[in-house]
Amino acid sequence: MKIDRRCFLSLAGGLVAGHLLSPVPWKVTDDLSIWTQNWPWTPVPETGPVAWKETVCTMCPGGCGIKVRMIKDRVIKIEGSEDYPINRGSLCPLGYSSIQYLYGPSRVTSPMKRTGERGSGKFEPVSWDEAISEVSGKLDALRKNGQSHTVACISGSDKGTVPLLFKRFLEAYGSPNFIRTPSGQDAHETAAYLAQGHSDKNVGFDLENATFILSFGCGLLDGGGAPGYQFSTYSRFDRRHTLVQVEPRLSNTAAKAKKWLAAKPGTEGALALGLARVIIENGLYNRNFIENHSFGFEDWTDDNGAIHMGFKRMVSEYTPSRVAGITGLEARQIESLARDFARAQKPVAVCGYNECRAVADIDKTLAVHALNALVGNINQSGGMIVFPDPEYTVSPVEKDRIASTGLTKPRADMAGTDKYPQSRYLLNLLPDILMSAKESDLPVQALLVTGANPVYTLEDSTTAQAAFAKIPFIVSFSSFMDETAQYADIILPDHHFLEGYRDVPPPEGVGKPITGLSKPVVSPRYDTRNTGDTIIDIARKMGGSISNSFPWDGYEAFLKEALKDQYRDLSRNGYVENVEKPAALDVAFATDSGKYEFYPTRRHTTGNGDEAKLPGFKETDVPGKETSGGVILIAYKSPRIASGAVANPPFMTKTIDADMLKKEKLFIQINPETAGKLNLKQGDEAVIETSAGKASVKVDLYDGIMPGLAAMPAGLGHTAYSRYIAGKGVNVNALLQPVADPTYGINKAWGIRAQLKKA
Amino acid sequence: MTTPAIPEGVKRCGSRQFLLWLGVAALVVLWGVYAMYRIWFYGLNQTNMNNAYGFALWIWADLAVIALGGGAFFSGFLAYIIGLKNVKNIINFAVILGVVCYTSALLILGLDVGQPLRGWFIFWHANVHSMLTEVAFCLSVYLGVLIIEFIPVLLENPKIQKVRFFHHLSHNMHEIMAVFAATGVFLSFFHQGSLGGVPGVLYGRPFAFREGLFVWPWTFFLFTWSAAAVGPLFTASMCRLTEAITRKKLVKDDVYHLLAKISGWMLLTYIIAKSIDTIYWATVTAPSMGFALMDFYSNNPLYNIWILVAEIAVCGFLPALILITRKGRENKKLLFGAAILAIIGLLINRWVMVLQVMAAPLMPFQEEWFMYSPAWTEVATSILPIAYGIILISLAYRYLPLFPQEKELNPGN
Amino acid sequence: MEKIPSHTKKRHFGMVIDLDKCTGCASCMVACYSENNISFRDEESVKMLSTNWIQVFKLTNGKPFPDTEVCYLPKPCMQCDGKHFGHSPCVSVCPAVATDFDYPTGIVSQIYTRCFGCRYCMAACPYHARKFNWWDPVWPADMEKYLSPDVSPRMRGVVEKCTFCYHRFQRARQQAYNEGRPEDIREDEYQTACTQACPSNAITFGDLDNPDHAVYKLKNSRYAFRLLERLNTNPSVYYLSTREWVHRAADNYLEHEQPAFSEEQQA
Repeated sequence: MKIDRRCFLSLAGGLVAGHLLSPVPWKVTDDLSIWTQNWPWTPVPETGPVAWKETVCTMCPGGCGIKVRMIKDRVIKIEGSEDYPINRGSLCPLGYSSIQYLYGPSRVTSPMKRTGERGSGKFEPVSWDEAISEVSGKLDALRKNGQSHTVACISGSDKGTVPLLFKRFLEAYGSPNFIRTPSGQDAHETAAYLAQGHSDKNVGFDLENATFILSFGCGLLDGGGAPGYQFSTYSRFDRRHTLVQVEPRLSNTAAKAKKWLAAKPGTEGALALGLARVIIENGLYNRNFIENHSFGFEDWTDDNGAIHMGFKRMVSEYTPSRVAGITGLEARQIESLARDFARAQKPVAVCGYNECRAVADIDKTLAVHALNALVGNINQSGGMIVFPDPEYTVSPVEKDRIASTGLTKPRADMAGTDKYPQSRYLLNLLPDILMSAKESDLPVQALLVTGANPVYTLEDSTTAQAAFAKIPFIVSFSSFMDETAQYADIILPDHHFLEGYRDVPPPEGVGKPITGLSKPVVSPRYDTRNTGDTIIDIARKMGGSISNSFPWDGYEAFLKEALKDQYRDLSRNGYVENVEKPAALDVAFATDSGKYEFYPTRRHTTGNGDEAKLPGFKETDVPGKETSGGVILIAYKSPRIASGAVANPPFMTKTIDADMLKKEKLFIQINPETAGKLNLKQGDEAVIETSAGKASVKVDLYDGIMPGLAAMPAGLGHTAYSRYIAGKGVNVNALLQPVADPTYGINKAWGIRAQLKKA
Repeated sequence: MTTPAIPEGVKRCGSRQFLLWLGVAALVVLWGVYAMYRIWFYGLNQTNMNNAYGFALWIWADLAVIALGGGAFFSGFLAYIIGLKNVKNIINFAVILGVVCYTSALLILGLDVGQPLRGWFIFWHANVHSMLTEVAFCLSVYLGVLIIEFIPVLLENPKIQKVRFFHHLSHNMHEIMAVFAATGVFLSFFHQGSLGGVPGVLYGRPFAFREGLFVWPWTFFLFTWSAAAVGPLFTASMCRLTEAITRKKLVKDDVYHLLAKISGWMLLTYIIAKSIDTIYWATVTAPSMGFALMDFYSNNPLYNIWILVAEIAVCGFLPALILITRKGRENKKLLFGAAILAIIGLLINRWVMVLQVMAAPLMPFQEEWFMYSPAWTEVATSILPIAYGIILISLAYRYLPLFPQEKELNPGN
Repeated sequence: MEKIPSHTKKRHFGMVIDLDKCTGCASCMVACYSENNISFRDEESVKMLSTNWIQVFKLTNGKPFPDTEVCYLPKPCMQCDGKHFGHSPCVSVCPAVATDFDYPTGIVSQIYTRCFGCRYCMAACPYHARKFNWWDPVWPADMEKYLSPDVSPRMRGVVEKCTFCYHRFQRARQQAYNEGRPEDIREDEYQTACTQACPSNAITFGDLDNPDHAVYKLKNSRYAFRLLERLNTNPSVYYLSTREWVHRAADNYLEHEQPAFSEEQQA
């Protein structure tokens, strides 16, 4: 049959018409929509039996008990544990998002060896044997060269068994350089040493039993310190509770406080003294405590017959009107606050912890401790509690000659040297020390970093980066590809906390000595090892006395031995309370007088005389040149941004408000009045410049910040991890600069002068 | 000898020139098709819409083309129901314009939904309370009617007429066209109204919300009325544009004058009703929800009070008054000037009823207006119907006897 | 013998959020992401493209330093009862019945496989509670592992919103059924993820019509109000605040009008 055009068209037409009349189009339409309902690239989570497992979160030092919802071997959800005594059910956003670190692109999935430039993030996977041999080989070579003291370890904490292993390793190896990252503990430990004579005790505040919390700038509700503990305390507040916040910026804590007192930054110490004066003047102090358990309240005579000024006489100069002049508050406010504080059932004054910067104003801290002493709340329910670290029962370290020699050398960070005899750790000084040292004679030849991300968190981070880049050999123990890991030569990745054992020492600032136990709820997903095991492996590999000092089969064996009797309770209950009760006042103080010293006789001072010893108010200047049109930059803590060693997970970044971060730009908060002077408007692009660095930002006008200040949130501007974390905003640490306290070395700068200009 | 494809007795340009003209339009269509591909393949993230602007340029374009396509139903109503014979001289053109507008509307809707392959759920799982369901049903059925109305025109092509079956089909269809026209009018009254109901029922959006009659908010009636008023003006204007492009008179002036007169009165009554509605809304409805009139207009450069003045006075009363006066509508410049103003007024109305509704902040702590500018993909796909319309109308004009008066007006071809 | 009260059969779940307590920490938001498989992208700062079922807003009283006050306001889906009961603004407009008012619980549902993404419901919702899936959801690396099988991940092109963790209600109902008390779901057995997550206990959840539930009493407090109450959407989410300016910021008022609550009256 010849097919002509007409025939073809008819055939085609018939075919189409036939199909249209058939069920085919309907079937296809239906199937297509069913396909869209089951797109293969939209995941369908597998179901299975549900189990809940309890453990302790270690994403920050807050030590919250958590329960983990599991389906088969998958972690589905994390929630706060109601039965855990620290957080009692409360949990911060970081705790909830920590599953995003168990899974996800930020993990270091095996030991790594750097192949590219420092910070470039180029690594190649190596075997554990290879990585550990490389580390032990390097350390061995240094030791053989008599340079064991040039090995340093930076740790996020000096408490708990993993830091204990590092300290032990350095001791057996022969280095005095175990360095804790700066934190609020620095000033409190110093103040506890000066006023109470304890050299290594924890200072905590029993907030949950207090009825009146006077906070000098603590970000109690801004996610710092032990957020779970602070939130759970606040959640149980009722009408009988009062929170007063002293801070130049209306923070989340200030917003929730019954009263917000915007004292000028750096003048909190003067306010504390002013309050002390009103309390003393009106006889509102605790007579029993002052008369029986304190020293240096009144003027006193020393063994040589010299009369010294007492605390009372010193504060008499801090009249409400004078303090009002210093702080910018009203005299009336100061008087009524002092009365309310002293008359409260269980008042407590807190400072230093939970600030996003570790600003260690020794005078201020002593003054705040003195306020607590005045109301007699030391070691009382709802007061300031001083307690020792948990005791570990491990055999003494075996030291050879090299180790003993190495340990006598001065520390690389100058802590404990003649210049700073009463300081324990001074990491903030290390970058400058490294920068000014000659390459050949660098005080740190090898660096171990655990539980810390100093390349990011150290102030003046640009200098810190340059300084770290000089260190010939860096080993990171991080689970995640953080900034410091990117600087490392070798990464020996730790498990995620849901994959391994670890004891959780009492969180800093918390007034009860609770140790928790973090237990594995899932088997390790990647080729990672518990850092405790890794350090034991390295020690074993090094042989000799070092190896002998680590006789354990692994970290778990060590943990069991170190915690002894406590281990059983820990593994059963998840936590133990280390001491039954705070020490009674007659035995609480280890000072020469055996009492609480309002006049800290031991204080190391550059000058002589009572003025230097007593915690009088001294104006602290901030770094940078004063210029017209300048602002003072401060960093602030947001509960929605993790600003510690671990970066903000994507879930938390998702919660950040549009007036804080827009695309890659961070907003800087200034008062509308300041904006007027600088000719800036809401949303303007601007450049902020300090002596440490420069950054482009956007302007956010906020009535809640003191005119003249500019505030940036801490915790953004990461460059490592993954594209879900990096490249968002500015790292405020790159703009800040620490100023060393002349006698203690710790940073005392609360801000930095900056130029803020329209871009 | 083969039958020419071009209708007998009319002159058309050379095929090369025609192809060039089509080619230019086709390029624009291709651009739009590329945008369609981006949108269907990658999803609506290719647009500038967001959670505040769930409705944006496309919904406006939909409301606009349907309102302008209203010329088809209202001319049909005038020609077949009222029996104004003169209107029949433009009805073919109105129908084809209607086909262009309504197919475009459906295409844009197909782009606008996040799951186009499930679009038919609107029929299968219909929620009878939803204005959108009403729109979808009436719209689809009416498009069917329009196509049925279009078929006899299509069959008039000389080549098709040669087939006996089609010849008779066309003849018989002409006979029953009034029935379809009536059906179309009925459907149109409803879907034009439902489109008005779409914003009008949003009682969570005080800018859009209107009280009304039974289940129908006042916007239901205002949308139908305005489409009936302006639709024929759009038909006339497009017809005039075709005349200008082809440099030929295609429709006698009295047709234009008749449509202008009817539209003028429709527009005047509409704009009076719209004014009353606006006053009631501004003084009673909105204040009951805590809004003063100026809350909706202040504080924004795009949506300030001038947009209301433009819609009601400049593009409402002014053209209406021109068109109802004989002098006005018999002056060509005034007539089409007024028509263009009226069309702009209609476009503004549909724009504010969609986009300003989305833009106005509702929560007092949210001071900022939501701003939006369309992405190129949205623009390209919104322009696509224009180019597609040009192609379809050009083809129809070339091969179909659209204008019964053309031969008479252009003798000697 | 304990009598099972008849009102347990028909429930009206709702929330009371104490704004004096809310610290703005965003734990509720993060707990919600985790509970409800909410996807995330590397760029989340454009809030109108970001999917949040509950979002915490920051309100200020507009006064200059140092009289400035800040209040945080968490905003989930309001689960509106609507002008007439069940006639929620979004439910009545959905052309395909992809969202519905569940009379036994008072919760507005969303069926992702039914929704075809016309977004009319989003235009209807004055609270911006509804979010569209502009992108295919992607969980990078092995993050799909943490997805919960209780809540299906949403495909591109559909609208989603807070469901008051309806799957938790189903779980509680199943539990009650298994234990032979089919109609008796206890208050603590069904709580939303955000309620549980709030570390400062600012959120209370329960049956608004059940006098034994905490929300019943709280919603009648003189400090209680609802967001944009004047639109007659009848939200099931109540807020508490002792500050007048917060009451004023939660609704629209003409110049001469006053919110029902005033601090002066209280004093």
